[in-house]
Amino acid sequence: MKRLQGPIGSAALMAPVLLAPFVFSHYRLYQLGLVAVYLVALLGLDMLTGFTGQISLGHGAFMGIGAYTTTILVVDHGWRDLWTIPVAGLVAGGCGLLFGLPATRFAGPYLALATFAIPLSFIGILKRFPHFTGGNVGKNLPQLHAEFGLGINPSVWFYVVAWAVALVMLPLAYVIVRGRFGRALRAVRDSEIASTAYGVSTAAIKAAAFGISAFYCGIAGGLFAIGITYVSPDTFPIALSILLLTGIVIGGAGSLYGMVFGAVFVEFIQISWSPALLEQISRIHHIDTRAPGSGLVVYGLILLAVLYVAPAGIAGLARRLRTVLLNRTYSSYSHRTNPQVTSKERN
Amino acid sequence: MKRTFLPLAAALLISVAVTVTAGAAPTATPGVTARTILLEGTFPLSGPASGYAPIPVAMKAFFSYANAQGGVNHRQIVFKYSDDGFNPAQTVQLTHQFVEQDHAFALVGGLGTAPQTAVRQYLNDNKVPQLFVSTGATTFDRDYTTYPWTLGWQPDYEAEGAIYGKYVVKNFASAKLGVLYQNDDYGNDYLRGLRAGLASHQTQIVDAEPYDLSATTPPAVQVAKLKASGADTFVIFATPTPTIQAYVISTKLGWHPAHIITNSVSATDPFLTIATNAGSDNTNGTLTVNYLLDPSNPIYNKQPGMILFRKLMAKYDPKGNANDPLNMYGFAKAWTTVQVLKAAGTNLTRAGLMKVARSMAFTQKLKNANPFVLPGVDIHTKGNYQFPISQVLLVQYKNNTFQPIGKLINGRGA
Repeated sequence: MKRLQGPIGSAALMAPVLLAPFVFSHYRLYQLGLVAVYLVALLGLDMLTGFTGQISLGHGAFMGIGAYTTTILVVDHGWRDLWTIPVAGLVAGGCGLLFGLPATRFAGPYLALATFAIPLSFIGILKRFPHFTGGNVGKNLPQLHAEFGLGINPSVWFYVVAWAVALVMLPLAYVIVRGRFGRALRAVRDSEIASTAYGVSTAAIKAAAFGISAFYCGIAGGLFAIGITYVSPDTFPIALSILLLTGIVIGGAGSLYGMVFGAVFVEFIQISWSPALLEQISRIHHIDTRAPGSGLVVYGLILLAVLYVAPAGIAGLARRLRTVLLNRTYSSYSHRTNPQVTSKERN
Repeated sequence: MKRTFLPLAAALLISVAVTVTAGAAPTATPGVTARTILLEGTFPLSGPASGYAPIPVAMKAFFSYANAQGGVNHRQIVFKYSDDGFNPAQTVQLTHQFVEQDHAFALVGGLGTAPQTAVRQYLNDNKVPQLFVSTGATTFDRDYTTYPWTLGWQPDYEAEGAIYGKYVVKNFASAKLGVLYQNDDYGNDYLRGLRAGLASHQTQIVDAEPYDLSATTPPAVQVAKLKASGADTFVIFATPTPTIQAYVISTKLGWHPAHIITNSVSATDPFLTIATNAGSDNTNGTLTVNYLLDPSNPIYNKQPGMILFRKLMAKYDPKGNANDPLNMYGFAKAWTTVQVLKAAGTNLTRAGLMKVARSMAFTQKLKNANPFVLPGVDIHTKGNYQFPISQVLLVQYKNNTFQPIGKLINGRGA
């Protein structure tokens, strides 16, 4: 049964994904397309941080590598945009693997700090080779147009493409974390010493996790470039890497389906929720919401509120709710279903 | 199976719930109804360029006034602006929202070179006017044949740089220039203009140091290098925050250049006051150019535009700083917008609006000049000349006010 979780989960996601185009406006579909992009990126980062326990503050840069790969292939080499997506994943994955090999010598906060160097140097490299990357000016991509001569609106088509990719990457992630390899990932997370004792090569596992997560982020980056139709150093600020990390915490690190929530959060928090809440606050007398950065304060408040309600992310909240509901149902024979099971072991 | 399905279903229900907001149905001309015209724009209300945040508020204030006066051909202007944090990826998403969800008639005043470059192709593909962008990057005026739906407004950076170059040749013939410039289209346009203005005297630039807007540290290393280069004239081509930092750093390094030239975007009284309060002692004497009525200089107090400005600020933007030239900038831009909308007639179309914007003439001679710009500054476009404003006045900062030097100069020589 457990083996089937991935495919079934994807199938359950499939229905609303298929229905959405009949419900939402073009712009909302465009936004939901970006949710799919972030979902792919979060899945990648979750496999590294949630499953393998390695915190990265640099995965926005792997998205950037993917996005630039797509852009350069399309703009300078005349590739069809969709064909560049796997290449974007492979280039970013390769970079991730190369970074992962030496970086696995670090542990915990030291690794996090090392990964912080990735977006910093990435932006520097972009500016260093302007003839190749477009430098500070960036590069424009043509808008995505439907294949096969279909007269679909570009925003709708972007939605279709992004979710088609996400619905391949999600079950693939299930396959990766369920098997022998997935057990090794979790073993490294829970205790490096114990896993070494059981014959797991922790360095190799960590490097592989880096490569896989960067591959996912690269795929997401390629899609991102196609959706945003523009890349520049400003498009991949350090804040993006931190936003991705926020996304997996909100979604529930170590849970794959939780990343759907995380992706919704990442896409909507800045564009929709913060400004909407800010507007409500501005109606309160004497509060000047025009002060620079007041949007960020609201963002922080939303973040704190979510973490207060769901300290283990939305996935953790769902688990807790289920426990409560099950307790109610079966309270005649058991006070609590499984009080000793911690959230980590459940994965 | 149950384990995955329940939370998944919940996930989707919630995602659906948060995203449901009905999009308005498109009409014949998007964004235009019998009573309203919808205009939108993106501005950095947060992030590294949030110093510009007053601009859209001032624009909105002027539109409120125009509406109270009966609007544009009996239609009320609805102006909505959103925060893109100066991140082009956000600009793109918000612009999609303006076009596909809100069905804005036109985008007005969108701020920033990179953010507006990011959406230019998209807006031109969709034939949506990208009017009076808040950037002086030359490309927005010059490349009108490639981007027929895009038009700038303010004097372009290249022309402004050239004015400084010519001034240096004429007045500081032996000066050694040390240039701090932002490493992007913005800074490079200025630097290119400066070089063009210096012409055969380009060797007067002894050092030019770039810095990045996204850099997390102030441009201390660059300023130190400029000092070490032996420059005696400090040229600052930077956005407000780094400009303020440059003033403070040069003071702390004990560098007192004989002259400081700062680009007009950053050389405003509020920004220089911040620099002074932060410990800079060399803001006095700063040279820059201006094309707007300067609220901090009392010599303009009797201008009708200034009287109107103060009255409207008090009424429609009471929390705003009526001495901030950025508010004047917003007013002057909104005034231009109202005029082109009026000229575009009752049967408002996007193409009609662009046609009017491509042949504007708001001049002193025709007695229809913009009241918020300096007397004599004309706003005009015609045929292959698409630089709406190109006249400026050289001004120097003395005792906390900018005093004019000489007469209006035309940066485009036309």
